[in-house]
Amino acid sequence: MAANIEFHRSKELSWLRGFANLLRKENRSWWSTRRWWINALLWPGMLGGLVGLMIFVVPTIAAQTGDPAVDAAGGLLPFALQLGRMAFFEMGTMVLAIGVVVLCQDLIIEEKQSGVVEWLLTKPVARRSYVLAKLAASAGTVLVLLISLPALVTYLMLSIRLRAPFPPLPFLGGVGILSAHTLFYLTLTLMLGTLYTSRAPILGFALGLLLSGNFLSGLLKPLVFVTPWMLAKVASLVVDAQPVPASLLWSPLTASLLWSAVFIFMALAKFENTEF
Amino acid sequence: MTHTTDFVIETHALTKSFGNVHALRNVDLHVPQHSIFGFLGPNGAGKTTLMKTLLGLSRPTSGSGTIFSHDIVRESVAIRERIGYLPQQPRFIEYMTARENLLFAAKFFFNGPQANIRERCDEMLELVGLSEKADRPIKGFSGGEEQRLGIALAQVNYPDLLILDEPASALDPLGRQSVLEIMERLRKHTTIFYSTHILDDVQRVSDTVAILNRGQVVASGPIESILNGKDGVVYSVSLKGAPGGLGERLGTLPWVTHTSVSQNNGASIWQVSVSDEAAAETDLLRQVLADPATIVTEFSRKKYELEEVFMEIVKGDGNGR
Repeated sequence: MAANIEFHRSKELSWLRGFANLLRKENRSWWSTRRWWINALLWPGMLGGLVGLMIFVVPTIAAQTGDPAVDAAGGLLPFALQLGRMAFFEMGTMVLAIGVVVLCQDLIIEEKQSGVVEWLLTKPVARRSYVLAKLAASAGTVLVLLISLPALVTYLMLSIRLRAPFPPLPFLGGVGILSAHTLFYLTLTLMLGTLYTSRAPILGFALGLLLSGNFLSGLLKPLVFVTPWMLAKVASLVVDAQPVPASLLWSPLTASLLWSAVFIFMALAKFENTEF
Repeated sequence: MTHTTDFVIETHALTKSFGNVHALRNVDLHVPQHSIFGFLGPNGAGKTTLMKTLLGLSRPTSGSGTIFSHDIVRESVAIRERIGYLPQQPRFIEYMTARENLLFAAKFFFNGPQANIRERCDEMLELVGLSEKADRPIKGFSGGEEQRLGIALAQVNYPDLLILDEPASALDPLGRQSVLEIMERLRKHTTIFYSTHILDDVQRVSDTVAILNRGQVVASGPIESILNGKDGVVYSVSLKGAPGGLGERLGTLPWVTHTSVSQNNGASIWQVSVSDEAAAETDLLRQVLADPATIVTEFSRKKYELEEVFMEIVKGDGNGR
């Protein structure tokens, strides 16, 4: 044994002990396996394809069939851009939320079931580091692969259709709102992973909440102000540079971010008290 | 170092309950430094629960415990800084190779120099005989190789205490042999606290033992004293015939604590428990031979096998309930 090997002992802050190493591991699980390129092809391909269909193919067919919606939108180009925006910011927001729930459902429970969490927590690791590393790595990956790449593809297609750069600020505003919506479902899924040990309740609860949004907000209107259910529509309006009532923009946006913070707090509290 | 005692692990009335199920009941444990401490018990005795409680994976219901004088609840991270742990079924990061798993584990403790960390990982791979498979996917590893890699992972940070949960129970005889050899090689560097139900292994490598049954420590101490059985040192004397007055004579000796006699093919076999081994060595046979009519055919100190002691203790404990 070469007990004379000298090392620099890790000097991380004790309340975040092990975070850097766990973050490297989490990033590696996304970026050093085939997961990254599958997602890098899937989401821009799927959402870009949907947007492409909506701005290049559907308007042409609508014009040929004399669809009155073309005239109502103010012509073929505005109609195409409207369809493109709706495809990405309304349908895409829902699709991305479903994608995040499916992709992140087993981030924690898989390691709970396999015993990896237990093994990791026998190292000098603060429990909050484990949850926060999962959150940071998956949020970063979702932002790059699921949001930024498809958004870039969408922006390019809108600009090509417009034959000029699409106004960037409204577009970025819409992407920001879409990101807040996605973050809500990411943190919710992560929190559910700390509460349950099987996939069914995680998928059931997160997807149930997502898909029942329209129905529930129809039953009880004030819900739109305290949930992310209206954000997809709001994002589309913001990108279209249409006036959005402040209460309809800021209330659901703030509520979604607050909910995300609550979910993170609950995930940390639950994981801190979990016995293995 | 923050040692204030010679014990690495100390627990006082440590209790862990899951509802009405009492997994640990008032466990008092003292694990000396540099010992190989075998923690014995039948399945379900509470061995894994105790280890998890010591490691901070589970919280005690009552009682307390320290490792390196650090409280096991409040100072768990500081404790884990100096511990290596091998779970009953070792777990690894599946998409990493053996070397990558070691590097990953090492980086919880060290942040440089990178060359030294790599050197330490190579050293561990060599220790457990996995150098040739260091860069292969873990999925192809046999149970024995996984166990050895688990030991390497537990040892990568130069732990002052190794906690091994059933390190050899799932292995074939060759795998077991290999794990025990590694433990013996490590004994000079660290204290080893391990659980098992394989009594041969304990007798071979342990110097201190505790027996846990139904959540309670029912025996604890150096292996020699455990092997002496609960009656202490016992001598067995075989005599021809049935000499009169021997029982009374032995009963007057202050260091004889208990005698029993059984008959076998015309011979009487005396079991004499003593509290003073030195006195027994010099005087016991003389006392027996004090009657010139007595013919001694066999005189020996009774040797217990750990299995015998274990069964006696565990069954006795069960019967007592």
